[in-house]
Amino acid sequence: MKPGLSGTNPEDILRLSRRDALRIFAAHMALAVAGCSKPVEEIVPYVTMPEGLVPGEPLRFATTLPMGGYGLGIMGISVDGRPIKIEGNPHHPSSLGATDVFAEAAVLSLYDPDRSRTPILRGSIASWDAFRAALLPQLAKHDVNAGAGLRLLTGRITSPTLLRQIDHLFTRYPKAMWHVHEPVDDSLERQGTELAFGRALHALPRLDKAEVMLCLDADPLGPGPSQIVNARRWIEARNPKNARGFSRSYVAASAPTLTKIKADHRLALHPAGVSDIAIAVANVMGAGMAQPNLPPSSERFVNTAAQDLIAHKGRALILTGRSQRAEIHALSHWINAQLDAPQDFIAPFDRSAEHQPSTLAALAEDIQAGRVETLVILDSNVGYDAPADLSITANLGKVPFSVHLGLYADETAGLCQWHLPQSHPFESWSDLRAIDGTAAIAQPLIRPLYETRSAHDLLTMLARQDAVSSYDLVRETWRPVGGDSFEDWWRQTLHDGVVAGTAPLSVVAAAPTRPEVTSTDETQNELALVLSPDSSVWDGRFANSPWLQECPRPISKEVWGNALSIGAADARRLNLKTGDVVRLSLKDRVIQTPVLVSDGCPPGVINLTLGYGRRNAGAIGNAIGADAYRLRTSDALWMIEGVTIAAAGKRQEILTTQNHVRLEGLARDLYPVRWLNDLASAARSDAEAPSLPTFYPPAAADTYAWGMVIDTAACIGCNACLVACQAENNVPVVGPEEIARGRDMHWLRVDIYDHDMPADPVTGFQPVPCMQCENAPCEPVCPVAASVHDSEGLNAQVYNRCVGTRFCEANCPYKVRRFNFFGYADGQEYANLGAETIKAQRNPDVSTRQRGVMEKCTYCVQRISRARRKAKKEDRTIAEGEVVTACQSACPTQAITFGDLNNPDSVAKRLKSGPRNYELLGHLDTRPRTTYLADLRNLNGALKGEHS
Amino acid sequence: MAQVFRPAANTVALLVIASLGAVPVLAVGLGFSLMASPYVTNQSVTRKQPVPFSHAHHIGGLGLDCRYCHTLVSVARFAGIPPTKTCMTCHSQLWTNAAMLVPVRESLANNKPIRWQRVHVLPDYVYFDHSIHIAKGVGCSTCHGAVDQMPLMRQAAPLTMGWCLDCHRNPETEIRPRDKIFDMKWKPPKNQIAEGRRLMREYHIDTTHLTDCSKCHR
Repeated sequence: MKPGLSGTNPEDILRLSRRDALRIFAAHMALAVAGCSKPVEEIVPYVTMPEGLVPGEPLRFATTLPMGGYGLGIMGISVDGRPIKIEGNPHHPSSLGATDVFAEAAVLSLYDPDRSRTPILRGSIASWDAFRAALLPQLAKHDVNAGAGLRLLTGRITSPTLLRQIDHLFTRYPKAMWHVHEPVDDSLERQGTELAFGRALHALPRLDKAEVMLCLDADPLGPGPSQIVNARRWIEARNPKNARGFSRSYVAASAPTLTKIKADHRLALHPAGVSDIAIAVANVMGAGMAQPNLPPSSERFVNTAAQDLIAHKGRALILTGRSQRAEIHALSHWINAQLDAPQDFIAPFDRSAEHQPSTLAALAEDIQAGRVETLVILDSNVGYDAPADLSITANLGKVPFSVHLGLYADETAGLCQWHLPQSHPFESWSDLRAIDGTAAIAQPLIRPLYETRSAHDLLTMLARQDAVSSYDLVRETWRPVGGDSFEDWWRQTLHDGVVAGTAPLSVVAAAPTRPEVTSTDETQNELALVLSPDSSVWDGRFANSPWLQECPRPISKEVWGNALSIGAADARRLNLKTGDVVRLSLKDRVIQTPVLVSDGCPPGVINLTLGYGRRNAGAIGNAIGADAYRLRTSDALWMIEGVTIAAAGKRQEILTTQNHVRLEGLARDLYPVRWLNDLASAARSDAEAPSLPTFYPPAAADTYAWGMVIDTAACIGCNACLVACQAENNVPVVGPEEIARGRDMHWLRVDIYDHDMPADPVTGFQPVPCMQCENAPCEPVCPVAASVHDSEGLNAQVYNRCVGTRFCEANCPYKVRRFNFFGYADGQEYANLGAETIKAQRNPDVSTRQRGVMEKCTYCVQRISRARRKAKKEDRTIAEGEVVTACQSACPTQAITFGDLNNPDSVAKRLKSGPRNYELLGHLDTRPRTTYLADLRNLNGALKGEHS
Repeated sequence: MAQVFRPAANTVALLVIASLGAVPVLAVGLGFSLMASPYVTNQSVTRKQPVPFSHAHHIGGLGLDCRYCHTLVSVARFAGIPPTKTCMTCHSQLWTNAAMLVPVRESLANNKPIRWQRVHVLPDYVYFDHSIHIAKGVGCSTCHGAVDQMPLMRQAAPLTMGWCLDCHRNPETEIRPRDKIFDMKWKPPKNQIAEGRRLMREYHIDTTHLTDCSKCHR
């Protein structure tokens, strides 16, 4: 070959002679022909087969995942040693068998190619040995000065073993200090209990016992560590079979929350207006404080809600949210005491008996004053999420010896001398307490993929107990509990995924004292910025998860960003339209963000979520959205006043997966709402509608008939089903550019509807998987019979037949088919999603679809097939409840029911004959196998006039 | 003036007209037969393995049962290739110095698996399950052929979809009693069709829905 060809300079390659060109052409032809033959595959068996492992068959292990420090018990599903999916653990009090979006996405973070793989010293690759060598002289200094200047900074810690290790560290270094920083903390709630009861307490509301619930900015159904348990208890109290005990909820909120959407009566108010409601309700109970000046709508709301609360004494509850002052929290405890509310209190368990953690503000002050010699940061990203007034980013470099342990080399890692890679929760032993204090063991599902250590390992290093493994430490913690037959106890506890009998006993709190609260005036002509944790990235820690970035916000359906929500009236006043970029400034700190004009945003309030604007999150999460932490100060964490807003003269498209359309009157057909009082008298909406004559073959009656029922009254729009489906079915991420072209791949979407009612629109969620129509319009239009029906009623898609005409998608009235315009999972992945590690997450039971292929929901056909084969081997039929689809298993409120409609005992069949059952677009006679139960609200007669 | 078309032109024209119809038919026929030919299906191709393991010797000669090595065949999708430990149960005592077994000994010594060449390759979108076929009376030799006579493993059947469907439509030609599943010498009896139908009833095999796409593809 001529020298010109061997060079890598593109200009040389362009200067081809005719002979060279022909030669290359011939070589390509030869390669293409050779490429046609089947690739040679290898089989690589074990050298020694692990006990109990069956190649290709899933194994389930109970373990615990941390969420803001609290444990969520899960079952990790592992195939051939690779964790591929997460399901809830029914025995665990935080999970109750369900999951949330964060847990579902945790399996992908294990394989994240951006995970930190090696210790880093000031930006260059180092080793654990080098770190140990640097640490020892530092510890020798602290041995002399009893730990003065040694600081530990962590997030919320509930792990009994880690707390024990911290205690041990303090016995060695008595002058050391421990600081806790959790961006989404419950400091205001704690201060509230201190004001009311004289000590910090952890409240556990029992929503299942609350027949009347008043939420003041509280979002018990919203994302967070207690979402699942609250949602399950909330729906338990809303069983239409039990109309007398059916709960009613009143919500006054300054942000559009899930609880507000699911409320029976709701008010959008400025946070000050929400506080006024608390004061006014307390006054109705005889508090005798200065009555705030209420607008008429609030007055009516207060009178009705307060009377309803009083009428249900012992079964009524009031909850206060983050954006409210500590005094309002204390006041609501006083009201709850008057109501004898179903709420338990336990002593906080995120601290050790001997050591109370200090705050981040104290640490910032000490760093500034040069009192910090050694700083060890365990899994906390203060370089990004600290309140702006603490100047952590500017001062962290002043610490002489700083160490950061984390999953990612993030913003904080860049500010510390040492960054140490942390093991994923799936790679290490630990223990965690759930939101109610119940402990559970976290067991690894896989050996560490990289040179990583856990927080336990780093603490043993600090305490110079290097030989002790975290496995031994965790066992040592629990040995006194396990008793004499510890090994049996240990095996059983690991199997169950929960340490029995570790829930703390509830504290009998003394009668709370009533704080004297005065109404604060809304600041005129100034907007109040209300912050909230994000439903996708929480406080920013999940920013590098592509599943979560592309998981639509429940209400705005925004993806890949956090636009600023502003009410329609304020937007008009400021002459802003959706997509206009604004400059939000507070003193000298400025951020830029596009605005989204939203109905749910009250006048005088703007909403922004935390967790965006990451600078060092990774290839997925970098430079998306606006960083709300820049405006956050330690005295105004959730409600920031005095923010000025100004148009920046730019526009930025807001990426959403659902366009807002107003269909005159159609919402009543697509998303019917029933009132509890009228339910008994109401006839079925589609009561035995005669079927039109059809050319479609009749459904087979001699086998299973799979069907699904989705209760829209129970759906809280949390998206757990959507991410569960993505994990189970290898659904690819398309990335922001493709979303902007109107493309997305979610097999299951959650639509949001609102009913145009004066003053108080009823809004609701509707999860839409494939309807598996018996008369499927997609099937006759497929020229290659790739869209076919099977005998059990599944509308199957044969991926290897599909040639990509997209006729089926065009003919589908429900728009649930998804087309691979590019090789989203097959060679043209977004960002770094084509990395080898990501492939390890794929479910081996589901084909990964190629470019040019249509794909869709098939009721988790792989799970049906597994159950069918198992049943056939045992010579029986599939039992009711044996097949659980991924969306169904994830749902916190059990809104999704799936089963065999030919089985007379099936729950799905029974629900379909109920009065609330309706078919989506049933008039098209598609005879969908997926049907819905109409939303159900429990209106108070006194406020009913507003729903005409 | 000479004639434009000589007499032979008639023959040429007839041939051209005939081939206009015949060539597409032949081309399609050729395509189909090529697809089913060993050239594409890799039927009867012997592959070079790291260890020239002889099924003929171990099964035909020594009389080992299939399940001694393929332990999971009746419980899992995959029959399973034995771990090195299984080979070494015997070969730690027998032929301990044989040159042929060097890769096996090295595998155990270095804890490095043996990398076998796959012989039976199904496309990724086919989800075949060994255990259900065994439970329903399909014997090993039905698909894998006379393994006890193969010095080196080769693919005995074409493994095309048509070949799968032949049996999914008419399993009575292949179904055998459960105690004969692993019997390499089993031959269908004279009354196989009647016997097969009887066993289908016994095993509850219903072919009505056995050709649904979703049975094998997803």
